[in-house]
Amino acid sequence: MGLREKILDSRLYREFIQRKATGPLRTYYDVPPADPERSVIETEFIALDLETTGFDPKKDEIVSLGWVIIRQLSVDFSSCEHILVRPSKELSESSVVVHRIFDSDVADAPDIGSALEHLLPQMAGRVLISHHAPIELGFLGQACKRCFGAPLQIPTVDTLVLALRDIRRSGEPMKAGALRLDTLRRNHNLPPFRAHNALSDAIAASGLFLAQIAKRDPKGELELDRILR
Amino acid sequence: MSIELEEIAEFLKQHHPFDLLPDEEINALPKRLQARYFRAGTKVLSPEQECLHLYIIRTGGTETRDPDGQLLARLSEGECFGVRAMYQNGRAANNITTLEDSLCYLLPEKDFHDLTGKYPQFSYFFAKMGGERLRSGMQLLESRDDDQLKLMSVKVSDLIARDLVSIDKSASILDAGQLMSKERVSCLLITEDDGAVAGIMTDRDLRNRVIAVGRSYDEPVSAIMTEKPISIDPDQFAFDALLTMTRNNIRHLPVMKDGKAVGMITTNNLLARQSLSAVYMAGRIGKLTTPEDMAKVIAQVPELLSHLIEAGATSYNAGHIVTTLSDAATARLLQLAEEQFGPPPVPYVWMAGGSQGRQEQTALSDQDNCLIIDDAYDADQHGEYFKKLAEYVCDGLHKVGYVYCPGEMMAKIDEWRQPARTWQKYFNKWIEQPEPKSLMYCSVWFDLRPVHGTKSLFDELHRMIVSKAKDNRIFQAYMVGNALTHHVPLGFFKNFVMIRGGEHDKTLDLKHNGVVPIVDLARIHALANGVESVNTYERLNAVKAFPSISNQGASDLLDAFEFISITRLKHQVRQIRRGETPDNFLQPESLSAFERSHLKDAFSVIKNLQGALEHAFGKSGT
Repeated sequence: MGLREKILDSRLYREFIQRKATGPLRTYYDVPPADPERSVIETEFIALDLETTGFDPKKDEIVSLGWVIIRQLSVDFSSCEHILVRPSKELSESSVVVHRIFDSDVADAPDIGSALEHLLPQMAGRVLISHHAPIELGFLGQACKRCFGAPLQIPTVDTLVLALRDIRRSGEPMKAGALRLDTLRRNHNLPPFRAHNALSDAIAASGLFLAQIAKRDPKGELELDRILR
Repeated sequence: MSIELEEIAEFLKQHHPFDLLPDEEINALPKRLQARYFRAGTKVLSPEQECLHLYIIRTGGTETRDPDGQLLARLSEGECFGVRAMYQNGRAANNITTLEDSLCYLLPEKDFHDLTGKYPQFSYFFAKMGGERLRSGMQLLESRDDDQLKLMSVKVSDLIARDLVSIDKSASILDAGQLMSKERVSCLLITEDDGAVAGIMTDRDLRNRVIAVGRSYDEPVSAIMTEKPISIDPDQFAFDALLTMTRNNIRHLPVMKDGKAVGMITTNNLLARQSLSAVYMAGRIGKLTTPEDMAKVIAQVPELLSHLIEAGATSYNAGHIVTTLSDAATARLLQLAEEQFGPPPVPYVWMAGGSQGRQEQTALSDQDNCLIIDDAYDADQHGEYFKKLAEYVCDGLHKVGYVYCPGEMMAKIDEWRQPARTWQKYFNKWIEQPEPKSLMYCSVWFDLRPVHGTKSLFDELHRMIVSKAKDNRIFQAYMVGNALTHHVPLGFFKNFVMIRGGEHDKTLDLKHNGVVPIVDLARIHALANGVESVNTYERLNAVKAFPSISNQGASDLLDAFEFISITRLKHQVRQIRRGETPDNFLQPESLSAFERSHLKDAFSVIKNLQGALEHAFGKSGT
């Protein structure tokens, strides 16, 4: 972890931004964050993925969110959610091609503020799981700042980072595409998945996460701290 | 539903027994699941470990070993484990270890039971898995039948038929025996002074632990009871009860709740469940007043038969139950005849012959019957009465659905409506001067059973038949010759020899080439050894003790008889399902390879024992 992330994930920084937060983000910060010294099996996670109109959190917007909760190292499908978000600008053609989400689909969808209002309570006290977390953190952080006056801080496990560590530890050369979600899932004998939307990716990441933990400690008794980004 | 969850639903739909669930149910399932991941070599469950989910393997594979380490099963994608835990209070029964990295979907216990409660076929699949080890290959075959039955979802508590009969442990053996006799039970619960269960005692114990060892009847029952009997919880499934009884080779199982006995179930209870509808049907027949109305009840026999077979009834059970209904119709018609023509002037007994006599009827059969009248019978004086009675009953049976016997072996034919003395002459002649024609009668008249009337009229005749047939070697040799005319449809290389041409081209006649030869074999051995039973199972079981057939030979023949009979019944049930008229002609291709090889084995058994028969009795006549 770089110095910047260290600062951004620090308790001091959390206390600083917490004071500026309003609305649902304020409530979010009222719940203490997951304790990094507790075991993974005792920790609750939220695997999340989002789709955006582009790659720049400052210019582009979230168009959909999908998540699922993990408790006791068990993915709880009853907690699955998938929501579309109505962006403030019209959807660009390139974005439509990628996500197949059209203006007409999101016309009646909630705006990002309402979406966050729904999502934030689900994240409170939990650890975020994402495959390549900077995207999720970047977009959610920007959205929180815009809507509720403060950035988002959440302890995060990046399955891509865990995979990278595994590959480095194995000493084998990195192959092209080795860090892709579907490649990693295949390597862990997980079923193939069709990458359709934010929820399918979130669920795919949750499965990969279970496999990565099982590899480190089948009982899940290792400390959360050892797998955070 | 989101696409990812749709993928889970799709996965489930491809695997048995989830494919049996309706779409709306299966689409709602993914939301109730959890996913867990296990590395290869992880012990997922061990005996007695809490297990509150059914595990469905999504990827990977597992191995099931019993507590002694014996390998029971290897499971892979789409298969389930933790099934036993679902049926025994959330405690795993076996060791489950992953063989590969595995992703499993977990279905909560409650949802599992909701589904098994709602969908019997789904329930049946799992109930069977729970006891896989118990089931022989033959029974396993049934598990793929989709339209399976409900016995396996019936709770033990539903089986308790009557109040518990119990006695204090200080009571004497004599008291206990008298109580059992008075209450007509085969088993007593023995209680402590405070009412707690001390043990159980069965009629078998009376035989083995009292009479056989010459124990005094004054001793307390506690001396002969079985202490701490194996028991079962009322919430367990009938299947578990059967399993427990079979495993421990017991026939009585106390039902205990919170340490208190609440009932007793016996192997008979389990069967009674299936035969309930037969009992009801028989009861109805007894209230009807016209053959036409009875015909409506008897028309349900094929349906009853298919339920029985699906319930896993043996052909012996099915034969008994179906025959009970023919008996009920016969007896009712005789009652009606007596109401119409007045009470009989002299005593008589109505006899059933052939398959009804043997209690081996299948879907509808024709009628074989006769009338034995008291020797006080005077043709001039009483002839008219019995003629009218017999005509009324035979015509009635025909209308009910038991068509006239093509060989005219019916009580309405003068020859077969005779006083006992005439019947004695008949049998004397058949046995002492056998001729080809009399052999034709063997299959019907040597399998007689009284159905209605003064049954003692048959006793003397029966004794005479049994003792004469036992001593007459020439008669026996004739019967052997006759029995050997039924060839088993097996070629030199153990291939099936099928019927060629005609309506039944390329089929096997399971009746004439399978069932009949065994019935014949059983009859010969029984008659030659003075065995009185007429039922084929009972005959074969009884002749085990005699030298004319080896114990193994008789056991093999019993197995072969059961397999061929049940194959025939299943064939008929399939035809009934398709709305066809049931027959005995089976196309071997309609069987699985496994069933075909079993059928060939069964035929080989008959062939071998036919050979042995010729050796033991010689052959004569035809």
